[in-house]
Amino acid sequence: MSPLPPAAVGTIAGVAVLLGVIGLVTYVTLLERKFAARMQSRVGPYRVGPHGLLQPIADAIKLMMKEDIVPREADKTVFNLAPVIFLIPCLLIFATIPFAPGLGIADLNIGILFFLAVSSMEIVGLFMAGWSSNNKYALLSAMRAVNQIISYDLPFLMAALIPVILAGSLKLGDIAAAQEGLWFIAYPVLGQLGFLAYIVASVAAENRVPFDILEAESELVAGFRVEYSGMKFALIQLGEYAHVLGTSFLGALLFLGAWAGPGPEWLGPVWFILKALLIFLLITWIRWSFIRIRVDQILQISWKLLWPASVILVIATAITVVVRSSNGG
Amino acid sequence: MAAEISPRIKTELDYAGAERLTMNMGPQHPSAHGVFRAILTLEGETVVEVDAVIGYLHRCHEKLAETLAYVQYPSIASKTDYVAAMTSEHAYVMAAERIAKIDVPRRADYLRVLVAELQRVASHCLWLGTWCMDMGGALGGGATIFLYCIRERELVLDLFEKLTGARLLYGFHQVGGVRYDVPAGFAADCRQTIDLIEARLLEYEAMLEDNTFFLMRTRGVGVISRELAQEVGISGPLLRASGVDFDLRRDLPYSVYPDFQFKVPVETDGDCLARYTVRMVEFRESISIVRQILDGLPEGPISSRPGVKAVAQVRVPKGETYTRVEGPRGEVGCYLIADGGPRPYRMKWRGASFSNLAVLPFIIPGHSVADVVAIMGSVDPVFGEVDR
Amino acid sequence: MVANPRARGFLPETWQLVRSVWKAMAISGRNLFRKPVTVHYPEKPRAYPDRYRGLLVLTTDMETGEENCIGCRLCEFVCPPAVIKVEMLKSEKRNYAKTFTLELYACEFCELCVQVCPTDAIVMTKSFDLATTDRRELLLDKDRLHALGFQHEASWATGNRLRDMQAPPKKVVAEKPTEAPVEKAGEA
Repeated sequence: MSPLPPAAVGTIAGVAVLLGVIGLVTYVTLLERKFAARMQSRVGPYRVGPHGLLQPIADAIKLMMKEDIVPREADKTVFNLAPVIFLIPCLLIFATIPFAPGLGIADLNIGILFFLAVSSMEIVGLFMAGWSSNNKYALLSAMRAVNQIISYDLPFLMAALIPVILAGSLKLGDIAAAQEGLWFIAYPVLGQLGFLAYIVASVAAENRVPFDILEAESELVAGFRVEYSGMKFALIQLGEYAHVLGTSFLGALLFLGAWAGPGPEWLGPVWFILKALLIFLLITWIRWSFIRIRVDQILQISWKLLWPASVILVIATAITVVVRSSNGG
Repeated sequence: MAAEISPRIKTELDYAGAERLTMNMGPQHPSAHGVFRAILTLEGETVVEVDAVIGYLHRCHEKLAETLAYVQYPSIASKTDYVAAMTSEHAYVMAAERIAKIDVPRRADYLRVLVAELQRVASHCLWLGTWCMDMGGALGGGATIFLYCIRERELVLDLFEKLTGARLLYGFHQVGGVRYDVPAGFAADCRQTIDLIEARLLEYEAMLEDNTFFLMRTRGVGVISRELAQEVGISGPLLRASGVDFDLRRDLPYSVYPDFQFKVPVETDGDCLARYTVRMVEFRESISIVRQILDGLPEGPISSRPGVKAVAQVRVPKGETYTRVEGPRGEVGCYLIADGGPRPYRMKWRGASFSNLAVLPFIIPGHSVADVVAIMGSVDPVFGEVDR
Repeated sequence: MVANPRARGFLPETWQLVRSVWKAMAISGRNLFRKPVTVHYPEKPRAYPDRYRGLLVLTTDMETGEENCIGCRLCEFVCPPAVIKVEMLKSEKRNYAKTFTLELYACEFCELCVQVCPTDAIVMTKSFDLATTDRRELLLDKDRLHALGFQHEASWATGNRLRDMQAPPKKVVAEKPTEAPVEKAGEA
């Protein structure tokens, strides 16, 4: 078979990863629903397909068939563009994640920087959605969102910097390779605290409970998404869950050793996915255990607690690395 | 504090300039606790004025009572406070009995107190679940606590189903006593259920009591000062959380409450956390009263006007009275004017939630929108009682 | 059990945050391993208690095949929302109900009609599957009520049983005035 040009290989790989991610995201919603249901002494989706396995497909078909309503006074262009602009960064972050040594679409030298920069871009789409809906609830929610996501992207960056300093490189493949011997989460104190800070910051940056004041159903009735229905709503949901899954993958890579695991080499990506799902379940567990807090309290936690803590952790990590390298030679 | 914030109610239904936003927490709202409309005037995120609109659930109970006989109305009375149905029925039949000077057999009185306290447990379960769901979201931790509380409430409702046949609206009381006696095995079931609920209460407290998020949302929020509480006329757990030591069961006892030992919790802070604490203690006290009843249930008939066959069988001579009952939400009162026939001349309900809602325009301004739901939940209104 | 304000300061508050987070997650984690309380209806039927107040039906005497209803209209008079309409048909030995209409869509299920019936003709059953797509199916006439009476299992409560339960306990006659055994439907 004649070798394909690299552009074709890249495209095929990109499409494959995209489809895989979308498939995984839809089924991860089912996983979350079953997990949450078991925590609440009930069974979750059960009827559609054996034990609810066809539920995400049913939901997708339903959303595709729904009527697409655009409010009369809404800004039509912005309204229609917002879900797309929200979705693109959430899917783009998967481009930089290597699923096995050398198996990634674009394992950039500045991988983690790209990841963080692109994932913060979703806020543009979010604000567009809230603004163009011509709805007070959506506007309130969008304003809160801007505040919150910006405040939490900084501790998120700091927490993600800890494995970078420990590995000595911004390239995601290198960070994963540096965990051959010892996963970063197992580092005494620094690893665990770093992981904790990472989880808290990512939960807040993704608007998950306990920090989901901007879609607080009981006050704002779905927040910035309130005017969306049908396929556009599906795109926003897809984007949100893709973002959560993306940060789970990143967390598994940064702290849990990515593809390291017992068994043969080809089992690596399987371990990676399992670890990412583990982090996702942890985030889900947090979601279904706590009530949410007000937006001013969320911001207080970020600026007074999480940001100083993460800065101190980064400095401590840097000092540890310098001391260790000067000792170990 | 009451003097500074006056409850001036202005209805401005359009934009009132660039600074103030009028937002409607409309009758259809996931956390309106029923059908309730609050027109909030916001400056940024802070509520400046509250205009509460009620009446969406008005069903003409008081007029209906003039057309229905004393035999027929008790099962309708459940529908005022449908979450704590036994309380309203109790108030009505007590009023008729007091005017007619009908003696209620001791067993009937004990059964009435038994169901009243079980009803308090069930009602507080619902309160806790819906309050946490309002604060936490239907897709989040609030839903978890909600489902746990509903799971426990279902056990109490199963007990009521064994006793009366109905889960929510009972028709258990009748003038002169009660309609149903306890079935075989009820006491054992009852004890098992309340033991289980007492154990699960520890779980709820573990999830909430020390929880930083919960404390952040409830401490210092919606403070009702002692003076305000006494001025506005609220009752029940709201009053006791603001430092006023008053409980109808102990201070103006009715039925056979003097026979039982129970503590009345009082807190002084007056915020949402204090109301939470008061209700959690009331949970335990109600469970202890139920145990005392089961230990000492006397034998005897269950009604002194048994076997109702005709609708005009119970006639109440001329007279008027006001009876008050300590419901889970506060004082439920029934003012009855009887004229000698089988139907009352006039009946008026004092709804506990109706008077409790009057405190909202005093305590909500100054808080943010997110606190409005926390405060509404801790006031625990049921709109069947408010609108009747 | 009041959550008194803890010691102030960054570290104690952070420690309290961590501890409370752990406690809450432990409870929801523990519930993860409890058996769900879901009853898989309709595959598994729900066990109704004896006194369940479900659908109303008219009963027929099993031995003679006669209708129990004598058309006395006591149920019509006592019904609070007035959903029952009865016309009496006089006959030589006993009376019948010429027509008996029950508007189920307005019925309160309060069981007062059952309580007043002298012949135990109207009872409630352990069925609540009343959902229909046509409201006219809920306007039950006499034939429909009798047919339903054969289909569903009746609850414990009939007129005589309810009235006996409320009546003072019967004392056994011609017994010495000691603690006479009382016959009651309930026991503590």
